[in-house]
Amino acid sequence: MDMSMLKPGEIGKITKVGAIGPLKRRLMDMGVLVGEEVKVEKIAPLGDPIEVTIKNYKLSLRKKEAEGIAVEVIR
Amino acid sequence: MSVQTVGSQEVRAITVAVAGNPNAGKSTLINAIAGTRLHVGNWPGVTVEKKEAVFEYGGRKIKLVDLPGTYSLSPYTQEEIIARDYLVHEKPEVIIDVVDATNLERNLYLTVQLVELDIPMIIALNIHDEAEKKGYRIDAKAMERMLGVRVIPTVATKELGLADLLKAIVELADNPAGHLPKRLHYGEDIESAAQAVSAKIIDGSPSLTGKYPARWLAYKLLESDDHVLRETTVDNSGFLEEATRHLRKAHGDDIESIMADARYAQASGVTHEVLKKPEFRKTEVTEKIDGIVLNRFLGIPIFFAAMWLVFKFTFDVSAPFAEWIHTMTDGPFKRWVAVMLGFIHAPPWTVSLATDGVIAGVGFVIVFVPVIFAMMFFITFLEGSGYMARAAFVMDRAMHAMGLHGKSFIPMLLGFGCNVPAVYATRTLENPRDKALTALLIPLMSCGARLPVYVVFIGAFFPSHAGTILWSLYVMGIVLAVVMGIIFKRTLFRGESPLFIMELPPYRLPSFKSLMIHTWEKGKHFLIKAGTYIFAVSILVWFLLNLPWGVENKKDSYLGKTGQIIAPVLAPLGFGNWEASSSLISGLIAKEIVVGTMGEIYVQKAKEKKETPTLSEDLKEIGTSFGDAARESLANVFSTFGIASISSEESAEETGERASLRTVIKGQFTPLSAYAFITFVLLYMPCVVVAIAMRQEFGTWKWFGVAFVYQMALAWVVAFAIYQGGRLLGIG
Repeated sequence: MDMSMLKPGEIGKITKVGAIGPLKRRLMDMGVLVGEEVKVEKIAPLGDPIEVTIKNYKLSLRKKEAEGIAVEVIR
Repeated sequence: MSVQTVGSQEVRAITVAVAGNPNAGKSTLINAIAGTRLHVGNWPGVTVEKKEAVFEYGGRKIKLVDLPGTYSLSPYTQEEIIARDYLVHEKPEVIIDVVDATNLERNLYLTVQLVELDIPMIIALNIHDEAEKKGYRIDAKAMERMLGVRVIPTVATKELGLADLLKAIVELADNPAGHLPKRLHYGEDIESAAQAVSAKIIDGSPSLTGKYPARWLAYKLLESDDHVLRETTVDNSGFLEEATRHLRKAHGDDIESIMADARYAQASGVTHEVLKKPEFRKTEVTEKIDGIVLNRFLGIPIFFAAMWLVFKFTFDVSAPFAEWIHTMTDGPFKRWVAVMLGFIHAPPWTVSLATDGVIAGVGFVIVFVPVIFAMMFFITFLEGSGYMARAAFVMDRAMHAMGLHGKSFIPMLLGFGCNVPAVYATRTLENPRDKALTALLIPLMSCGARLPVYVVFIGAFFPSHAGTILWSLYVMGIVLAVVMGIIFKRTLFRGESPLFIMELPPYRLPSFKSLMIHTWEKGKHFLIKAGTYIFAVSILVWFLLNLPWGVENKKDSYLGKTGQIIAPVLAPLGFGNWEASSSLISGLIAKEIVVGTMGEIYVQKAKEKKETPTLSEDLKEIGTSFGDAARESLANVFSTFGIASISSEESAEETGERASLRTVIKGQFTPLSAYAFITFVLLYMPCVVVAIAMRQEFGTWKWFGVAFVYQMALAWVVAFAIYQGGRLLGIG
């Protein structure tokens, strides 16, 4: 399961960051790391991007960018 | 220290680099320290803003350099490269790291990277009040011990902690060796690999050791950082492989990730040690606001309401002042100069050059000042308050479809008022590609200056369908922007679209001082830089219009002659005469001038001598009309309907002129060619001020060049299709 499939309110734990290149580096810099818990807060009114809480702050990213991030649902 | 002592210390300024995450309050902090001494420019070669301030403190000269806000020093964005290059190559004496106390862990990730540089550092633990309000307790002393840096709690918006900060700068600069940050330990495997790399550098390329911070360089080489490898020309083929063998065996091949993990481990370690949070987490104000503002159903209506307000405030508040400036320069100033020149018996052409060239040029520049100031003010407010990120979040899907970014919406919207501030507003976009594409599409938004042209033609040919025809032009501009956006995305801007990954910062009220300084600096920048160009161009146009000197017939002026040359090209569009062509050329200054030129060419204006007001009458007029402008501006804030910049009243004389112009063009155009003509006016090249704005924002004429070429082609093709298509269908 990847991060773009989480529903608002669901919390997942990141198991793998499959992205490569600049996308991967950017995600790492923003704290999207393996083992991190991520909660999906909202989906934008037009269906994309999504808003998540990670490392105690709010991050938004497009679903396409979230697709490469594998998660397991914990709540 | 006494000011009299003139040592080398006294003369040389202490260079302080200010680093920090975006939204950590870095700008506010710098504004609070430096105030009006702030100098805003650009980093060399790029269009990223550079702020600097030199001031004295306790007899010492301090130079603050504001680095672009970044989340990291990995060279992912232009901003990161600038910040990194400055820190590594310019070697500032002290780094101030502005850290958002409410978001410690992610902010400390950058701090950890800054620590690697071995430069004395001060952490400004900013937004400290908000953290306290949340019940956070941060042990600054423990933080100092763990990182080996000075930690000073600050609240930039309230100017708290600044004196301590300044004092610390001097202390650290005076004894750098005693204030080096701690060497953070990234774990046995990484450290031993780094040591192996360092040993290789000392052996293989000793010249690098003094040039780069040793530890930083070793880490970067470990990560195989492209930028650093290219710059140092270190041959990494053999030894990196060897140095990292154990590391890769133990942790996997992705050393970049291993390093990021190690740095984050440090950031989390410090955070857990120094931060005590309350047990129960309250729902934060930001979350409550977002619950409404980003709501599935309310999100978009609220967004449009907010945009409507921004548009209205930007143009309605500034319009009366622009009008006032225009009236002043056009009336009293011209009269005074003419009288003075007449006094010294200057030849008539000098009077014309001074009034129609110089004063008109100056007036033309300053007419833009109110709208630029107003736009900068609201854009800065949107960014500082945190709503800009939400606007991007709400609109991104729609904008992304045409290759743009969610933040592109606001510049595009402002384009309907005036393309010039719209182009300047593209600075809210971080990525150069997003920025360029947005600026290219802005001229397709039908600006207020094109309206007078539409009004004359619609009044003459389509009085009964005025609304529909006018509406069709605006819609055509939008539709073509979508089409061109998609075309550009597949051609000129092919390849991966820039990432969206963006922080949604907490809502905050920007400090008024910071807002004013920012607005003022931007406005000043426009006045000086753009003003010079615009002024030069308007002088040039005066020569074009008036030379050869003494032409009676406009047809024989350079403008008229150029018009005659171009006319055949426009013939297939239905308006291939020199009059229409010349008017279009003059529209390059500003599109509304098309109407003025047509008036001059078509209607033989009988120049009546009006009674010249006296000096005192003029002065009184200037004063009272400024009062009127201010009142009108204020009234516009409250009035909810009507766009003032469009509905400004015309004098009876002007309406009379327009009426006779309408009669004349009825004989020159058919309804079909008239529609083709206004379509052409909508689409053909951006005006000169937009060109200058693009040059200023991008540091190159390239994007204006692209806009010029594609818009000319687009205007011709669309007008051709309308005229010839209409004829085939038997219209006209």
